[in-house]
Parts: sequence; C-alpha cells; structure tokens
Amino acid sequence: MTTAVRFDAVNFRPGKGFAIEGLSLSVPEGSIYGFLGPNGAGKTTTIRLMLGLERPAAGRIEVLGSVMPGAATAALARIGYVPERPHLHPFLTVRQSIEFHAAFHPRFDRRWAAELQDEFGLPPNQLLNRLSKGEMGKLLMLQALAQRPDLLVLDEPTDGLDPVVRRDLLSALVAYVADHGATVFISSHLVHELERLCDWVGLMDGGRLVSEMPMAHLKDGVKRLRLAGPVEALANPPFSVLSRAGVGDAGGAVWVVDGWAADCGGWIAERGVRLEAVDDLDLEDGFVERLRARRAAR
Amino acid sequence: MISGPGALVLRWLEDVDGRSAVPLYEQIASRLKAAIGGGVLSAGDPLPSVRVLAGELRINPATVVQAYRLLEADGFAEMRQGAGSFVRQPAGDQRQRARDGQARKLVRGLLAEAARAGLTRKDLNRAWNDIMEDPSA
Repeated sequence: MTTAVRFDAVNFRPGKGFAIEGLSLSVPEGSIYGFLGPNGAGKTTTIRLMLGLERPAAGRIEVLGSVMPGAATAALARIGYVPERPHLHPFLTVRQSIEFHAAFHPRFDRRWAAELQDEFGLPPNQLLNRLSKGEMGKLLMLQALAQRPDLLVLDEPTDGLDPVVRRDLLSALVAYVADHGATVFISSHLVHELERLCDWVGLMDGGRLVSEMPMAHLKDGVKRLRLAGPVEALANPPFSVLSRAGVGDAGGAVWVVDGWAADCGGWIAERGVRLEAVDDLDLEDGFVERLRARRAAR
Repeated sequence: MISGPGALVLRWLEDVDGRSAVPLYEQIASRLKAAIGGGVLSAGDPLPSVRVLAGELRINPATVVQAYRLLEADGFAEMRQGAGSFVRQPAGDQRQRARDGQARKLVRGLLAEAARAGLTRKDLNRAWNDIMEDPSA
C-alpha cells in the first residue's frame, strides 16, 4: 500500500501546555481520510505540520514522497489546502482571487473553475470582504479543487456553513475525486458528515492519535453488548472492552467492545452470561466511546 | 440536476443510511436490484455515472464502483467500456431471488427491532393478522 502522508513518532509543542506527542499516522493513497477529534485535539496543528508550516521537534513527516518541511515546495505544488480560517486577500474580487491563485498552479483548470463559479453562484466582481461565510467557503474549495491537486487537505471545510452550502461543497469534492482519484485528508468535528464519505478514520484527542482504521473496520468491530448474569465471570475476553456500565440490580450490564467477531457470543455463553443484544454503533457513538475509554484510562 | 432513469435511481437511493452497519455499497446494490426486479428500471436504462451518483449522495466514489461491480457480478448491470453502466434484466428466477432477498431483509429488521422491544413472535403474528384484515387497525 502506498501512503500519501506518513507521520512517524512526531513531537511538537506549538506553545505552552499543549503538545503533539508521539504522533504516527498514515494516509493511504487514494483514500478519503476523516480526521476526527474534539476542538483543541490538535487537528489544525497536525495539518500545519503536514504542510511544512511547522517544524517537528522530533520524528519524521513525509507527504507525497517529500520529507517535510525540507522539501515542502515540491509537495505543496501538488497539495490543495482549505484552511480553517480564510486566508485570501480581502480587497481582491472573486475573479481576481481565482486568477491570482491560478498563476501559482500550472495545472490549474480554468474551465472547471469557471463552471464551479457558476454552479456555486459566486459573483465574479464581488470583493472578498463582501462575501458571505458560505460564499467564502465555496471560493476556498473552488481554488483548491481547480488547481488539480494529488492531495487535498481540508481543515474543517464546512464548519459554520449552512446545510445547502455544505452539500454543494461535498458534491464538488466527490466529483473531483471520482475524476482524478486524489487523496483527501479532511478534518472535522461534524462526525455524521464524514460517515458516508470516508473510507479511513483517524481519531485525535489531547495531541495524540487514539486510533486509526478503515471505516468498515470501525463499523464491524465496535459493538454495544447487553449482558445479563454474572458478568464478573467474563475475564480476559477475546475482545477489548472500551466501556462498561451496570444496569439494574440483577447483574445486568452494558459493555462497549472493540474487536467483536461472531464467535465471541459463544465465549460469553460458556461463562454463564446471557448475551441479550449486540447493537451496531455508528461513527458518532464509536467516536464518543473511544474518547471516553481513552480519557478514563489516563 | 439529472433527469430520466437517472433521477429515478437517485430517488430510490436518496436515503441510504451511512449509520447502518450494512455497508453502503450493499445497500445501494440491493435497492437497485429490487428496483430492477420490480420493473422500476428496465433493461438498457443507463445507471448514473460514478461521478454523478457519488456527488449527489455525497459518498465515496469507490463505494459506487463497488456497488456497480456487485450488480454486474449478479447479472443486474453491465459496464460498457467508456459508455457507463446499464441495467440488465436478469433471468426470471434471479429477479424473484432479488425480491425474496429484499423481503427477507425487511422481515429480519422487523424481528430484530421486535426483540429489542421485548415483543414475541405471537405478538407480531397477531398484529400482522389484524392489519391484513383491516389496514387501519
């Protein structure tokens, strides 16, 4: 498997207090990688490291085959970036901004940019400081897509935007991926939005990577069990327990487990515990349970 | 945005559920099979391109490719090089199998939900008979 982005044991401290520690992650080429975590988890800092805007104190970062930040120039020519906060010049018009951006990117697709501008309803002669939040979000996405990048790095691209705008942005993104097979690294705390889109998920909390796995694995392996009977008999289970809670006085319990497989049910029954239900968790529940388990373990 | 059989396909697929444990590509394939089996789509109808369907549903393009491959493997679609994917009408027994599969899935879902609510087979049978006799019951 080729990787588009790889972090190996990266340490970085952007200021007092918060630190990225021992961060290792790998984004498979051609994947749509959802980067999740609560506000303050270190998502934006990780992205700044990825783009070569910060130098790690330790560890190694490789993006599209270039080691960052040393070879950032070569890599950045092939990366489309949508920052969390707009960084465009406020006194350019929409058309000027697109022209300015295009000048830096030899592969810039002017025809598609014009089509998208139409589709997004962006007024070409409007000054950027007069654009609504939604229009600015669309312009940022348009510029990043039309430069025809091999890697798109999107930092909360839909945060604070209304559902119609979010829909338009994601549709354009998906169309680009369908046509060009690019890798997408998208950070968000809007978990549901990523659920249908991503095939890989990385989960950050407190400057560390909690887990990283294919979306299908997350959906298959994490279950909520309802148990009745002597649950203390379930020592050293063939799955890992993310959280446990007692229910009622009769020894019932609800466990959230990872690494569930079909034969685990038999293992539970052998120990005299009744398995009343095995519920699937969606991405949001899985996300919350993993965070909770990690924070409880600290 | 798109019309004809393509628009019909979209309506059929609009509410695929990213939160479900059933993989999206399976949901898409089985709904399309039911639509083909039920005659909503007929042989030769074009399926939306991967780009259009993924864009409209805001899902991973790879998921659409996977769904179309599954349809093709089961005889419900054919991919023509450079022209896109088209509906194929499978043999009659295969069509019935698709409908059976869809119906079984509905019933299985119902049974699972009933079990969670603590309802027995008997409760369900009674409700089924009541409703069959008088749909407004």
